[in-house]
Amino acid sequence: MELNGYRIMWLFVFFDLPTETAKDRKNASGFRKNILKDGFTMMQYSVYIRHCASSESADVHEKRIKRLLPPLGKVSVLRITDKQFGNIMNFWGRAEVPKEPPPTQLELF
Amino acid sequence: MIKKTLLFSNKCSLTTKHEQLVVKSQTRDTTIPIEDIGFIVIDNPEIYISITTLNLLIANNVSVIICNKTHLPNGMFLNLNSHHIQQEIFKHQVEASLPLKKQLWQQTIIEKIKNQGILLEKITQSKNKFDFLAGKVLSGDTSNMEAVAANFYWKSFFEINFKRERFGNYPNNFLNYGYAILRAATARALSGSGLLNTLGIHHKSKYNAFALADDIMEPFRPIIDEAVHTITQHYDEEDLNTEIKSILLQTLTRTVYFKDEKSPLMVALQKTASSLQQCYVGKRKKIKYPKLWN
Repeated sequence: MELNGYRIMWLFVFFDLPTETAKDRKNASGFRKNILKDGFTMMQYSVYIRHCASSESADVHEKRIKRLLPPLGKVSVLRITDKQFGNIMNFWGRAEVPKEPPPTQLELF
Repeated sequence: MIKKTLLFSNKCSLTTKHEQLVVKSQTRDTTIPIEDIGFIVIDNPEIYISITTLNLLIANNVSVIICNKTHLPNGMFLNLNSHHIQQEIFKHQVEASLPLKKQLWQQTIIEKIKNQGILLEKITQSKNKFDFLAGKVLSGDTSNMEAVAANFYWKSFFEINFKRERFGNYPNNFLNYGYAILRAATARALSGSGLLNTLGIHHKSKYNAFALADDIMEPFRPIIDEAVHTITQHYDEEDLNTEIKSILLQTLTRTVYFKDEKSPLMVALQKTASSLQQCYVGKRKKIKYPKLWN
């Protein structure tokens, strides 16, 4: 087991949750809050991502998502390698936004 | 699992939101999942850390290391309740027989001397007699081969006038920093396996709260020696700056080799710790130490 771009995983969670009734909204915000607590960060509205140091760690977080699922609505979970994630292109309007530095094993503040 | 290491050497605040660590510094605001963190080094007097944060860090078995004025690690926080059957494991550890402890110490010193020998061979490019010395280690190292080896080792390691001292000059400060990090990593792994750090197998100074970590880290020390040696070859700097610290901190992910698998140092330490725990329980005879070089 070593750290490399093919072993590091990124988990994506995409969702569309109903917000018609008060109960729906409660479920939706509850789900959102729970995945934040699991270490996901918001990339866009209803798109959340998490860095996982290994695919075993990604397994764990996938399982947790399954436990947190709200009763209604669409949720998708996608797993890609750090290499693939490195090819992402981000735009703000038409201008390309530079990528955020990826989380490394050692971080200096 | 590989955990993250965070080094805080600038003014910032550490708080929590949604059970994640929130880092606010002048240049950057980020959140980091606490369960992904293994080590936090706090090296600036102007760092604010909330009690909730400390609690969450400790609950996740993060080693929080605080540095003193000279930027050397001064102390660390560790979980007191890190294993579900701690009481039972502590009992085995307390009741460990003297012969068992002596055998464990013998294994540890053999590994240490072997590793020192390999490193020395790599650096000096010539054969040495460390393997012979390792073969002569007795149970409990009663003939003190550790000191014999150390004497040769330090003499030929850096320049001739180098003296390995606790508060000595450069490069002692680099070594001390590296060892402190290694010690914290070892202590974290041991407490994660439910072992009591205070109760060593050989070290038993009444002032040492991390005696077991000091015992178990012995065979791993040459990793730090190697890193410091490389630093002294490539940098003229004699003070600990952030760059040098980060090189030393990265030794935590350096690959080491078990018989049929390889793993980063911090994962290897966990394997070593759990094998030691099994030695105490009586399920194993040998501590599982990795080879530092392949």
